[in-house]
Amino acid sequence: MLRRSLLAAAAVALAMAPAAFAQGDAPIPVGAIEILSGPNAAYGTAIRAGLELALEEVNAQGVGGRKIALTVEDSAGNKDQAINAARKLIGRDKVVAVIGPTLSNEMFAVGPVVNERKIPIIGTSTTAVGITEIGPYVFRTSLPESDVIPVTLARAKARSVKTIALMYANDDAFSKSGFDTMKAAAEKAGLNILAIESFGSKDTDFSAQLTKIRALKPDAVGISALVEPVSGVLLQARQLGFGKDTLFVGGNGSNSPKLGEIAGSAADGLIVGSPWFVGKDDPANQAFVAKFRAKYGRDPDQFAAQAYDCMHILADAIGRAGTPEPAKIRDALLATKHGGVMGPFTFTPGRDPASTEGVVVLAMQGGKFGIASE
Amino acid sequence: MPAWLDDFLWTYQNLVYALGINGLLALSMYVVLAVGQLSLGQAAFMGLGAYSSALMTLKLGLPFAAVLPLSVVVPMVFALAVGGPTLRLAGVYLAIATIGMGEVLRAVYLNVDLFGGALGLSGIPERATAPLIYGLLGLAVLALWLIGRSGIGRAMEAMREDETAAEVMGVPVRRYKMGALLASATLAGLAGCLSAHVSSFIGPNEYGFEPAVTILSYALLGGIGTPLAPVVGAWVLTLLPELLRGVSDIRLVLNGVIIVLAVLFLPNGLLAVRMKRIGARTAA
Repeated sequence: MLRRSLLAAAAVALAMAPAAFAQGDAPIPVGAIEILSGPNAAYGTAIRAGLELALEEVNAQGVGGRKIALTVEDSAGNKDQAINAARKLIGRDKVVAVIGPTLSNEMFAVGPVVNERKIPIIGTSTTAVGITEIGPYVFRTSLPESDVIPVTLARAKARSVKTIALMYANDDAFSKSGFDTMKAAAEKAGLNILAIESFGSKDTDFSAQLTKIRALKPDAVGISALVEPVSGVLLQARQLGFGKDTLFVGGNGSNSPKLGEIAGSAADGLIVGSPWFVGKDDPANQAFVAKFRAKYGRDPDQFAAQAYDCMHILADAIGRAGTPEPAKIRDALLATKHGGVMGPFTFTPGRDPASTEGVVVLAMQGGKFGIASE
Repeated sequence: MPAWLDDFLWTYQNLVYALGINGLLALSMYVVLAVGQLSLGQAAFMGLGAYSSALMTLKLGLPFAAVLPLSVVVPMVFALAVGGPTLRLAGVYLAIATIGMGEVLRAVYLNVDLFGGALGLSGIPERATAPLIYGLLGLAVLALWLIGRSGIGRAMEAMREDETAAEVMGVPVRRYKMGALLASATLAGLAGCLSAHVSSFIGPNEYGFEPAVTILSYALLGGIGTPLAPVVGAWVLTLLPELLRGVSDIRLVLNGVIIVLAVLFLPNGLLAVRMKRIGARTAA
């Protein structure tokens, strides 16, 4: 009784927008959950920009004679709000597929809920280990770190790196997961790990860790952290006398133009693997960058690029499924063969991206990223 | 059940859970504020309840019927251990000490492998149900209401208004403070256990400084006149972001404005009624 009356009270309070039902040539409802407010809103708004740009192109052509109606919900980076958004999209808006959420932590909470309803959910920016193991309806188009870092380390080895020291921020999931991957990849590549040092994402003093590493004289230093602490580490490393003979290797967190803005020339020489690069000169990518600049008046970042590809991949799957039924869309997604701005794209049977062909190794030079030399 | 109702309940299931769980958290804040203690360890106690119960479910495979009552053990033991030294503190010093306690625990979760570090614990099965959550919430409100109406309630109010005077009048201040802290730990521990078993994932940042302040704001917004008031505060603060989904871009701004207005114009909380007491006489 108690439950029913409480639910009834919630029903009255929340009966707002009427549910959209997909029928005839009505638009096909698709949902996205991204961080549009709060400290991590930059990621979510970049993703939304990429999705909406792709959506314009998709709807100009139509999917089986119908358009796609995209509803983007805000999670504010909060696990509970992300779950509420997913439930609202599926239960009220009747979406046939969900894109997002932005962070791996959010996906660990949202994925099981969406998977239970047998609705495909595709992460465009979730790089942690174990995302697609949540269930058979969970996909991702973002390359996990475990695909990118081995490429970066292979480049380091090609520059005759034999010993490496690892540093990481131990208080956020992204950095910790990236470190786990980096450590495993370094071991697999036969690099000798001399030291492992951790710090907090908001730390400003890394001299204790760096002094210890300096004494061990490694050929390379691998850093898994968000861009602000990575910049701090590099600035202090230069003060402590790390020179050009030490190769700095970044995880995905270092793959941000902000690195050059904060660390300036201290970041020069750092290499990082990226699923995408704004200067990649294939025609598909150049067209995307030009359209993005025309629409938003700024350069796209990797999150926008990943989202752009994801929207096209999903629209393509809905088209091939013939009918917007979630189970058929899932099957069609598995058979995806897409040539996007990140390179050729297919899914593994485990619903991760199959190809690492699109990975480019970038190097910092004069505060800007460019394609790294061999 | 018709399909639309089924969909509707499914859509708002998590919100219904969150309302109940945040209600329990608001009560865990209420019990310490009711004796005049600005103790902000609720998020930490919640984390202890969440982590210990999740580990019992995931690693030991215990049934939920055993996990739920056991989930209060770790928070209570912790409250007993830290209660002694921290209850000598008052006002803002107590607040700082209890926030520090939460940060220490957060560092432990981050650095001990058992707790999964920054990646937290995922894959926790959904075991808690709405009747269970609201049953516990109802029981807690009822129990606190009965205590509030009794002589203990008067003693608690006396402590809140003037601790020294209450002590002089023979109120066992230390014992009541400890009792309130233990009750707070129990309620927060239960809330942690329930929340871990409805959302499949917990991480260390859910129990740090920010949630501690959120829990305090439940009680501040609702008021602490009766046990129902903080629960209402929690419900308003939990519902607002979802009700404002329609205005996506300025959602958090509106949310903040509404809270500021409520605090400005309702300084004693949304429900500023005081409890009727057993044997209370109207002034002659």
